[in-house]
Amino acid sequence: MKIDHVLTTCPYCGTGCNFYLQVVNERLIGVIPCKTDEISQGRLCIKGYNAHTFVQHPDRLKHPMIKEKGKMRKASWDEALDKIVSEIKRITSEHGNDSVAVFASAKCTTEENYLFQKLARSAIGTNNVDHCARLCHASTVAGLVYSFGSGAMTNSIPEFEDANCILVTGSNTLEAHPLIGSRILKAMENGAQVIVIDPRDTPLSRLAQFTLHQKPGSDIAWINGMIRVIIEEGLFDKEFVDGRTELFEELKQVVQQYTPEEVEKITGIEPKMLVDAARTYAKADRSMIAYAMGITQHSNGTDLVKSLANLAMVTGNVGKESTGVNPLRGQCNVQGACDAGCLPDFYPGYQKVNDTGANKKFRGAWKSNLSTKVGSTITSTMEKMESGEIKGLIIFGENVMVSDPDIAHIEKALNSLDFFALVEIFPSETSKFADVILPAACYAEKDGTFTNTDRKIRMLRKAVGPPGEAMPDWKIACELGKKFGAEGFDFSSPAEIMDEMASLAPIYGGVSHGRADTEVISWPCPTKDHPGTKVLHVDGFKMGRGKFAPVHHSPPNEEPSEEFPMVLSTGRNLFQFHTGTMTRKSPKLEQEAPEPYVEINSGDAKMLGIEDGSRVRVTSRRGSIALVAKVTERIIPGTIFIPFHYAEAAANRLTNPAYDPIAQIPELKVCAARIERS
Amino acid sequence: MTDFKPSILAFCCNWCSYAGADLAGVSRLQMPPNVHVIRVMCSASVKPEYVIKAVTQGIDGVLVLGCHIGDCHYLTGNHRTAKRIPLLQKILDEAGIDSRRIKLDWVSAAEGEKYQKVVTEFVEEIRRLGPNPLREVRF
Amino acid sequence: MNDPGKEISRLAFDERGADYLLAVREEYGNAGPAFVAKGEDVGDIRTDIPYQLVTILRKIYPYMEDGKIAVVIRRCEEKALNELIKRGIIDGDRIIRIGLACSEGQIEACRCTDPVPSCVDIGSPGKGWNEDQLSKELSAMSSEERLDFWVAQFRKCNKCYACSTNCPVCVCDHCVLEECTFVAEKGIPPGMAFHLIRAYHLSDKCTECGECERSCPAHIPLLTFRKMTNRDMKDLYGYESGDTETVSPLLTTLEGDLLEEEED
Repeated sequence: MKIDHVLTTCPYCGTGCNFYLQVVNERLIGVIPCKTDEISQGRLCIKGYNAHTFVQHPDRLKHPMIKEKGKMRKASWDEALDKIVSEIKRITSEHGNDSVAVFASAKCTTEENYLFQKLARSAIGTNNVDHCARLCHASTVAGLVYSFGSGAMTNSIPEFEDANCILVTGSNTLEAHPLIGSRILKAMENGAQVIVIDPRDTPLSRLAQFTLHQKPGSDIAWINGMIRVIIEEGLFDKEFVDGRTELFEELKQVVQQYTPEEVEKITGIEPKMLVDAARTYAKADRSMIAYAMGITQHSNGTDLVKSLANLAMVTGNVGKESTGVNPLRGQCNVQGACDAGCLPDFYPGYQKVNDTGANKKFRGAWKSNLSTKVGSTITSTMEKMESGEIKGLIIFGENVMVSDPDIAHIEKALNSLDFFALVEIFPSETSKFADVILPAACYAEKDGTFTNTDRKIRMLRKAVGPPGEAMPDWKIACELGKKFGAEGFDFSSPAEIMDEMASLAPIYGGVSHGRADTEVISWPCPTKDHPGTKVLHVDGFKMGRGKFAPVHHSPPNEEPSEEFPMVLSTGRNLFQFHTGTMTRKSPKLEQEAPEPYVEINSGDAKMLGIEDGSRVRVTSRRGSIALVAKVTERIIPGTIFIPFHYAEAAANRLTNPAYDPIAQIPELKVCAARIERS
Repeated sequence: MTDFKPSILAFCCNWCSYAGADLAGVSRLQMPPNVHVIRVMCSASVKPEYVIKAVTQGIDGVLVLGCHIGDCHYLTGNHRTAKRIPLLQKILDEAGIDSRRIKLDWVSAAEGEKYQKVVTEFVEEIRRLGPNPLREVRF
Repeated sequence: MNDPGKEISRLAFDERGADYLLAVREEYGNAGPAFVAKGEDVGDIRTDIPYQLVTILRKIYPYMEDGKIAVVIRRCEEKALNELIKRGIIDGDRIIRIGLACSEGQIEACRCTDPVPSCVDIGSPGKGWNEDQLSKELSAMSSEERLDFWVAQFRKCNKCYACSTNCPVCVCDHCVLEECTFVAEKGIPPGMAFHLIRAYHLSDKCTECGECERSCPAHIPLLTFRKMTNRDMKDLYGYESGDTETVSPLLTTLEGDLLEEEED
């Protein structure tokens, strides 16, 4: 009889709750929240409590597989790995190194992601490495790097409790980040004012003191409007603006035209509400901003993020405890995957690939000739696959056939590939297209670290062995690296990989498994004796002064038309996670939210003859899906909402791949659509 | 308040109270029209969850009618009910839901008049209490 | 207390003949549940972090075919264990109790009226509280005010099921809270029925351990609600849960005879 309780990190959202997996004789039987964990404090959400259920599901991939004459057959590891290496080598020798791309995974550990980008850069020789951050917070990285010099959450999760005002926009915090929501509820108990700005009524907005509904895609207008009110009424922090920022006059000029009345025309927000919210945010001693996909997934996402940074800087709410601009990251390790350099323009630790110094440093360390050409993002890789410029693809754990915008386009892109290898834990909608499939270990079956949304290094500890012949991704990456003939893939443990990454990425300089095992460290942590950094920008911004971004409102790429009169927005619900690869195999989660639905305002529904529970068809310029209507007053008229978890009615068949010019994040939050009874 | 038409559920045991209700009907006894009768095999098959569901969804009053103690077709079914309902009433009270909205009584097959009396008085009581406040509450 | 681990280990394995020990232990800078077999190192045992060990025991118990298990147990957990023994879920002869008296701070956090285990092995017995301030305030309110209070509280519910998952005496094989028949609302918050059904179900089992309240991410004062309904149970039927003999009044006739098992 062997019974263990293994402390590890939740594999769902970016909050990074720690819990104990209960293991009886290699069988996972339950989850117990860790009471001394500073993030979760002995609490979890329903996904956390069910995080053990999918791990030992019978559908898990157990053997490597190779496609032969259109059919998948079992293969040995050697055969499958050799096939990948020979095919990729064939493609690069014929078409050059940049004809291959690697997608890393925000569901894998930081160590594994470090190896994925090393594999792409050093073994294959391309900077074409990216991951799903492109679809969620690419604009955050770009926007906040512009404004503050660092693209991560400025403050830490526990600080929410002590804020006097919390402005939440484009984030359904109680459903998508429940344990951060819990902190916001605590803050409210302590007397904090909460302002929620969202086109939908969310569980949090129903509790908040201020709820403002803006039209999707109109956010810059209300932010500029609030800044105007704050400047007009002298509520801005002159000392901070004068001492720590630049371009204030330009900002002042730009926001001038955003009078409350003008803002109402664009956003639909009542002038009085806007003014009250602006005053509340500006007058509070410590104001925090929390945001998520509602801000980032727009074709002007980078500008939107900059605007929020403007708002925080105008009021001096940066660089202090319980203030700041806080992007809530959606994947357990999307922060870590970015930190590890799984971005086409950055080496680990946000060192630019086209910077000669950085290039030289990594050449030396990896003993390999590295390209200085910025690689291709997921969004542009998809385009290049369709045009034939990219012919080989390796994906580590991403279900692009559900998660990426305009699935018909993705399907074409995957079909155009010469060779496609996929590393996954379950068969997915994407695995049908793969030429080689490798079975990976999931979070409970390996050691490593995740970096959560507030930059904390969270340990993952192996609780059970992987099913069948499945291997952890870091081993797979090592094997591939060696077979490519590259140096520096001889790792015997994730701890060694972290040591190498720490030696090359200054923000991780003091991080090691030894420390992370018993300590909670937030990066930047440059040295072994550095305690880590909870609040960023305390003594100044990385580049000296914080930079205001004078930006104007611009309409979304696609606006409603006669043929497509509704605005379609997509997002999450509480019970499912992303493409459902894990949650839909967890019985208790699936039973709570088993089928795809579209939320529609009751007034619109009445006009269209749609009742609650009617079968409807939603169509956009790119596709059409059938699902069930959920009639509600909790969404503004003219807008419909579909959670994107359900492959059988994938919202991303409809979404618009138009993207932000800087961050190349697609506009998943707004597209024009039509809804009708079916 | 005068045009408040309460919406009331009456769970009636198949063997006694339902027959009592039937007798009241056949005897042409005047009764308020707001009561929806639900026939159950025994008052004990009225799970407390049913009553909770009714009340939380905005039903103004719930009557649970069974056989007199000693007359239960299943011998002790109504003992179960007799233990449950008072507890349920207390719990609802603690949550701020007036326990007078739930009433337990015994009506035999021969007691058409008692059925009329119980129902009429209950409807009056609910009228006095006014609409269930949970009708208006949106979570 | 200097190293309670040694004392607990001695009591469990040497004095009382346990084969296994379930306790709370420090590891990786955190305190968490630990299940140790006789002869293994018990490690750095902690007694100040209130994990609900009876819930954890109940989850692993079905996998344990033999052996005696020692559990470090507070008064409320001891009572919960008794409820499980009474219901035939756990065989009392296989459990060895190591009584832990709660600290003053813990007693205060739980507004606990009954903090001293039947046998105090670790810690020194503290004095129980007389009443829960919030229940007193709520009882003094009008029913409209009370309803407003609870609606505002339940509105925060995130349907994580922590209150039932972590509850030592939530023992149904199939939970009605998961059925849309009873909890009609899809999504969150789940509305009033969820909490009322739970209150009713626990009325003859709850031992006021407070685990529901501690693990509630919405900070709903669930322990107060439990205390209020427990008081009702006592007023109505003179029943208090927590021993191995007294049958729940919901399972007896008006004369106190045992009713037949109810089928679902």
